[in-house]
Parts: sequence; C-alpha cells; structure tokens
Amino acid sequence: MRSKRVIAMLLAGGQGSRLGLLTRVMAKPAVPFGGRYRIIDFPLSNCSNSGIDTVGVLTQYQPLELNSYIGSGASWDLDLNGGGVYVLPPYVQGSEGRWYSGTANAIYQNLSFIEQYDPEYVLILSGDHIYKMDYSAMLDAHIEKNANITIAVRPVPWAEAPSFGIMNTDSESRILEFEEKPKQPKSNLASMGVYIFTFSQLKKYLTEDNADPNSKNDFGKNIIPKMLSDGKRLYAYAFEGYWKDVGTISSLWEAHMDLLKNPPEVDLNDRRWPVYAKSPIMPPHYIGPEGRVENSMITEGCEIYGSVSGSVLSAGVIVEEGAVVEDSAVMPGCVIKKGARVKRAIIAEQTVIGEGCQVGEDEGDIALVGQDTRLPAGYKVPAGAQVNNETIQEGK
Amino acid sequence: MKDAVGVIYTSKDEFSMRELSSKRSVTAIPIAARYRVVDFLLSNMVNSGIRKVGVLVQGNYHSLMDHLGSGKAWNLHTRNNGLFLLPSRGSEGSENSFGLLDALKANMDYLRRSRQEYALIVGGRIVYNARYDDMIRQHEETGADVTVMYTRFDPMNADFSASSPESRAFVTVNAQGQVTDMEINPNVITCPNMLMDVVLIKRTQLMHLADIAAAHGYHDLYTHILRGAVENKTMKIMGYEYTGYWKRMETINSYYNFNMDLLNKDVRRELFGVNPVFTKTRDDAPTKYLPGADVKNSLVADGCEIEGHVENSVLFRGVHVAKGAKIKGAIIMQDCSIGEDAELENVILDKDVTILKGGRMIGPKHYPIVLGKNVTV
Repeated sequence: MRSKRVIAMLLAGGQGSRLGLLTRVMAKPAVPFGGRYRIIDFPLSNCSNSGIDTVGVLTQYQPLELNSYIGSGASWDLDLNGGGVYVLPPYVQGSEGRWYSGTANAIYQNLSFIEQYDPEYVLILSGDHIYKMDYSAMLDAHIEKNANITIAVRPVPWAEAPSFGIMNTDSESRILEFEEKPKQPKSNLASMGVYIFTFSQLKKYLTEDNADPNSKNDFGKNIIPKMLSDGKRLYAYAFEGYWKDVGTISSLWEAHMDLLKNPPEVDLNDRRWPVYAKSPIMPPHYIGPEGRVENSMITEGCEIYGSVSGSVLSAGVIVEEGAVVEDSAVMPGCVIKKGARVKRAIIAEQTVIGEGCQVGEDEGDIALVGQDTRLPAGYKVPAGAQVNNETIQEGK
Repeated sequence: MKDAVGVIYTSKDEFSMRELSSKRSVTAIPIAARYRVVDFLLSNMVNSGIRKVGVLVQGNYHSLMDHLGSGKAWNLHTRNNGLFLLPSRGSEGSENSFGLLDALKANMDYLRRSRQEYALIVGGRIVYNARYDDMIRQHEETGADVTVMYTRFDPMNADFSASSPESRAFVTVNAQGQVTDMEINPNVITCPNMLMDVVLIKRTQLMHLADIAAAHGYHDLYTHILRGAVENKTMKIMGYEYTGYWKRMETINSYYNFNMDLLNKDVRRELFGVNPVFTKTRDDAPTKYLPGADVKNSLVADGCEIEGHVENSVLFRGVHVAKGAKIKGAIIMQDCSIGEDAELENVILDKDVTILKGGRMIGPKHYPIVLGKNVTV
C-alpha cells in the first residue's frame, strides 16, 4: 500500500453515559445533531475538508447505529481508492482478545492498522464535539515546530478552567506543563482532545504504555505526562473557532440553541467548509396552511401544521395541528400529536408525543424523551425528567 | 422474473416551456423544490430493481450531464451495470425527423452489450412514481410482445402544447388488457387512455425493430411501429394500467400546476410516500426560519433563509427571502435571493435570480411570469 503522510484515528467508543437515555441504544458519536447531522459528521467532515482521506473509527459501545451510518464513507467523500473510513472494533489476536481499556489502548490495539499506511503523522480525534477545524493547518504547525506531539487547545473562561486539562505554554507555544483539572490554573488553554503525533513517537510511547501494568492507558492521564517528563517536544495549537462539548443533555441542548443565533455561532451553510451528512432521502419539508415557524431550523421530510419556535427539527418530524414546539431539539422521525406542548426538551428518534402531552417546562432543566417512546395522550414530563417506554410502564 | 435494461429518452430543446427549457431538456428541468424530472424516472427504475440505465441525450445536455454525474445518487455506479449517457448527433437529415428509433439505432452497441432479457423505454417528460417490476411480471404472465403503460385519461389533467416534438399516444384496451386501438396526436381524442411513455419489449426484438426502422426511414416508435402493429395485429401489445398521480411537463402551465399540486398532501404521499425518490444531494444545512418569518402552505427545500412572508409557494435549495418580502403562488429555484419588501405573485424564477429591494412582479393567475437564470430585477 502506498504510504500516507497523515491518517486520522477517531475515538468513538465512549458510552456517553452523561447523555442518559439518549445513549442507551447508540454510541455518543451517533447521536443526531442540528437537524440533519450526527455528532460524528463534524470530525469526519473536518477530515474530508482538511484533505485527510483515511480515517479509522474505533468503536466499542453500541456500535450498530454507527456502523450502518458510516457505511462506505461515501457521504463524506471518504470512499476513495487507497483511502476510506474503516470501523475498528476490538478484536481477538491469537488466543487473546480484549476490550479497549482506555483511549491509548484503543490506538495501541490498532497499531497494525496504522502501520499498513506507513504514515508520518497520526491525528487522534474524539467523536463528541461540534466544531469546524482545518486539521491541515494544525499539521503545518506541527511540522514547522518539529514537534513530537501537537495538542489543539482553546481558551476557556478562567472560571471554568479548573474543570479542563490545562496547558501551560511558553511564548513559542511549547507546552511546559500539563495539569488535569487544576485548582489554581496558570493558563486558560484547555485541551480539545485533538492530537497530532509523529507516528514513530506515538508507536514508542504506546508500546511502553502497554507494558506498564499500572497505566490507565489514557492519553491525558498517562501518555502526555510521560512525554512531558521525558522532555519531548510538546506544542499547543490554539483554535479560535466555535467548539462545543456535547457530552451532557444540557450542553447538547445549548449547542442546538447556538445554531439559532443570528448569525449562528457555527455556520453549517458555508460552501467552502461543508458539513456532510448522510441524506435521509426524503422530500422537502412542508409548512401547512395553519403552520407557524419562527426562529427555527427545519429540514427534509418535516410537515408542520402546528407552531414551532426556537427549535431545531430533524428529518421527517411531524408537528400536528395545535401542537406547540418551543426551545427544543426534536430528532428524526418524531411525531408531535395534536395539542401537545414541548418546551425546553430533547425528543430522541422515532418517538411519538401523544395528544395533549406536556414535555418540559418554561424553566428548569431540560426534559428528555428517549428513543422509540410512545408517550400516552395527556402525559406530563416535568423539567429535567428523562422518560422512555420502560419508565412509563413502571409508572415512574 | 427476468430483468430489464432501462432507456430514458430525453427530448430536444423546444419552446413550449419558454425560458425554462431554453438551456436544458425538459427531463432536466428542476421541479418539486429539489428534484429534476429525470430523478423520478431513475428512481422508478432503481426501485424496480433495474441496475443498468442508459439516458439518450440530444441537443443541450450539459445540464443533465452535470446532474447525473456517475449515477451515484441513484446507486447506479456499480461495476458492470450503472448509468450510461448515450448521446446521438441528431443532425443527420432534418432535425424534426430524428426520433427515438434513430437515437436507438445510433446507440445500438449499448443494447447489444447488455445482457438483460428486456428493454424498458421510458420517455423523459412525465412525472409519476411507479414500479416497473409489476409491469414486467404482467408482461411475462400475458406472454405479450410489447407492454405499454397507460392511465385513464382525464382531460382536466391535460395541458398539452400544440408544438410538442413528441407524439402523444392514446389507446383503447379490451377486457383482456390488450391494446385494440391507438391514436397519435389526435385533434379529438376518442380513446379513453393516455400512454405514459413506458414501453417494455424484448431487448433483441427492440434491436431488430431499430434495424428495420433504419432501413425504412422510420423515426418514431409509436407512429411507425406500434400503431401499425396494433392495426395489423402483427404483435401482441398489452396495456399495463397506472392509477397514481402523473403530470406531463409540456407547457409552463403544466409545470406550474405540477409544483402547486405538491402542496396537496395526497399528491405528496403518492409521489414520495411509497417508493423513495433519489436525487443528487448538495449538503445544504437545514432551512433557517428567522424571527419574523411567516410561511404558510409551502414546500421548502434545505439551505433557505426566510425572514419574510411566503404563501402557496415552492422554494428550492438556498433561497433567501428578506424581511418584509411577500411571496405568493411562486416557484423559486435554487439560490435565488428576494430582497427586502419585494413582492412576487404567480411567478417562476429560474436559478440564481435576484429580486432587489422593493422589486414587484405580479403575474396573471393563468400565465405565470417566467424569469430566466441569473437575472437581476
């Protein structure tokens, strides 16, 4: 196989347990976002737009939805000869097989996949952030600094810095110190979980890490501190654009609301940097004679007979007469029946909100209705509650 | 059931659709907010299990070529089969006498190299959603030489142009489903059924007919072959009835009415609800409704930004409607921009039209104003 300058490895194995019922049946990167996307569309589109044509996607938890979504990779133009997107679940080697025990271990177990391409550099990504980033500019910086590893960072509000992995750098962006969740941060540059390694260094450190029984096999906890203490060349690459962790129900909801700002915080309609997604193959959306849509995003297959405001609707959502959807994100294939009211809520895929239901409230935490739920007519879901068919049956 | 190779026959440039078809064939005209006529025909074929489709193109086919690409959007980019563009010069002899049979003769290799048992020849002018596999099944059961698709003709649905270059054929079908009478371009229609421009025939038989046609100077499949075969009973020609929604794109009015029909829920269900319709995706973001948007009874594609008032209209991808603009009964193709306080009624805007702030254009109800591509008003 011809050698590649750089390939990407996308860590998509996390359970995303902070997303509660949303990730009960699918991995976090497969969660729908922004009307016609799934979270993984953002890193995959970034790869495609950055000229990276080979991506390994490491899956472990509930991979079915993700596997079928990725398919051949054609949706992101990643189905090229000699490149492509490959789903890499844990596998048995000889008599031994084991689950990925950490982020570093997941890459370690796939070293032979990487070696097929004989790359000079490896880009490590995670599948749980919404952002548009040119990885090729980061690679240029990595090469220019002759770095062993370059870590993408972004400034966070100082008050929030204690909850991130914080990099302290010199004026040349060389990382002097890495502190995981420091009480008294010396810098506000937080790691985005996006790394470029020079492959020879990555291989050396992963192999050593694997031999260390006390290691947690994690990039942030083990690999990066080890490289730092060995005096390796670690550099920070500052990213200034929009970047949102969507690891919790409230941050996922906020990220949807960010799309509705005018101008939006992240422009999904930029022809120079398209965000690709798999097409749902549905007709254009239709707004009925009594429909009302304001300050919202609507996509293919939707039929709106009721009222929608401040919301993002995914493909094929039906809002019946007299139904009201406000300040909410509704995922593909949902039906909001007559007279129902959805406010400050996330409704997961293929769910039916029965007539006259009330989901969410004007204030308080975001309400969540899980996938495939049939909410009986008149049912109430208070602010911050999470329901699905099981919780309804149990009468909770 | 044996399989079929598909052939879509596109028309030459013509004038009945005014500006819309001056730079593209009718088959390539944008419809239904993000499709082209050809998308429905290709999807019908793919949904029926047809894996090889040739598109006979003539005249100005850049628009069609650009749209079809490798055929990937219709899953027609497989190794051995897939999508084939079949150009023919169409300049031999007089322009008017170049018909389907000439185009087939010019592309005989396509038919010869196919391995499928049947050939399914489909005209590129009628929009409908049908399964051809049922038709092939009936063809085999009845032992027909030729099966033609027809629909009961409702004069209300007809909006025919006097100058269409293609034949419109009408048939009478007996109780056994056999075609007993065929009339072509009649002034007064006496047969109760209109043909849907779908003909199923054995592939080798079609090649044979194309050869005979060339030797005799025949051009049109209906006029020169099928009508005679019905009259002289030289072939067993069966009818297959289509009962769903259809529209023949022949005049600006039929184009306008088709798009307006899509505001009807039942029509949308018939055209999109049963078998999927594939088209090339453009990766537009979802449509954004800004504060102040007021949209009623309209079909809207992705990638639009709407701040104004839209009613009884069809908006294609990437249309901008600024604050205070009023749009009624309009068909607005992709990437048009409607300025602040502009007013549009009964208009068709081709791609990339810009209506500046305060612009006003009101067309008569039965003769919508058409603006060609890239115009600024």
